[in-house]
Amino acid sequence: MKPIHLNLAARPYRDYRPVYAVVVLLSLLTAFLMLNNVDTYYRYVRETKSTRAKIAQLEEQTRKEQELDTRARQRLKGLDLKRLDEQTKFINAKLNERAFSWSGLLDSLESLLADDVRLLSVSPTFDKTGRIDLSLDFRSKSGDGMITTINRMNADPHFEGAFPHNETQIDEGYAFTISVRYLPETGPSLRGKGLQ
Amino acid sequence: MIWRERRTLLIILGVLLLANLVFFLTYRIQYQSRLDDMDSRLAQVEGQLAQAHKSRLQAEQSLVAYRRVEKDVQAILEDRWSTQPRRLTLFISEVKRLARASNAIPTTLSFTRNESKAAGSKSEGVGAKEVGVAFNVDATYDQARRMINLFELSEQFVIIDQISLTDAGENRLSFSLRIKTLFREDPAPATNNRS
Repeated sequence: MKPIHLNLAARPYRDYRPVYAVVVLLSLLTAFLMLNNVDTYYRYVRETKSTRAKIAQLEEQTRKEQELDTRARQRLKGLDLKRLDEQTKFINAKLNERAFSWSGLLDSLESLLADDVRLLSVSPTFDKTGRIDLSLDFRSKSGDGMITTINRMNADPHFEGAFPHNETQIDEGYAFTISVRYLPETGPSLRGKGLQ
Repeated sequence: MIWRERRTLLIILGVLLLANLVFFLTYRIQYQSRLDDMDSRLAQVEGQLAQAHKSRLQAEQSLVAYRRVEKDVQAILEDRWSTQPRRLTLFISEVKRLARASNAIPTTLSFTRNESKAAGSKSEGVGAKEVGVAFNVDATYDQARRMINLFELSEQFVIIDQISLTDAGENRLSFSLRIKTLFREDPAPATNNRS
């Protein structure tokens, strides 16, 4: 007699245990990572809060500085720097001329001239750098007057680069002209050189 | 078959796991480097601020320097040099006063005038003109030195341009002096709107 096998199941039997095991494992792993990540995120936010605030504050300050810088440079662009520079150089040259001490120059020349040499005329020229060149006319009783004068100028720290222009024999002796750079004490000047 | 039936759940779990893994690898593993990045970003922003501050200070200092120099230039032009109508007679009076003070009174005074040649055309120039005075006196060397000294100490803006000395005998010199002063150019007259 053949046994009767009754199958009362509504669906065919399937073993879902491996699937549930994987689902549980994945869920646990995901939950663990998620908790860790949330903790990490909040820790990062907390630890960098002061730094981020400082960065934001510095960026705001930088923006303000740049605005002020732009405004100042725009105002600078509107100024006539070239004209002021020219005026400053011209005025400085004139102030140097005004500050030039003729008494000091005559004192220096008095201590320098030999007994038989007389000064006839002095005319200085001033350039924009403050350099003073002198053109000096002399009379001398002897023929050595010019050489003595040049030697004495070379030995004097107030004079530099003495150079003769001419020497002429005249009735009273000799007439000669010397050009030399004069190095006095520096005079007052306006600020603002090199404005541009 | 069983995997396929639960694939939706498995895919969702997989995606969640992957996202968390990515987050973990970028945030957790590189946590220190991110903090370092933040510090370097802070240093960079501080550097930018310092540069902007320096640039702004430079620009403002240039402006202040310009204003200061402009003020100095105006003070010279307006007060020291002034205009010819306002100061010429004062200048001539000063020359005569100093000549009297040094007991060497010139009989003739010669006047010259020339516009400043320092800066091209008149409109672009520095706006100044020179007036020169030349005279010749018979004086001793001490009188000549005294006159030079008085001109150097004068309150007026007087520049000694040239000195010439000629022996006139009996300890006397024929003393020639050329001096000059500067005046600010008169401002251009305003246009007459009524016409």
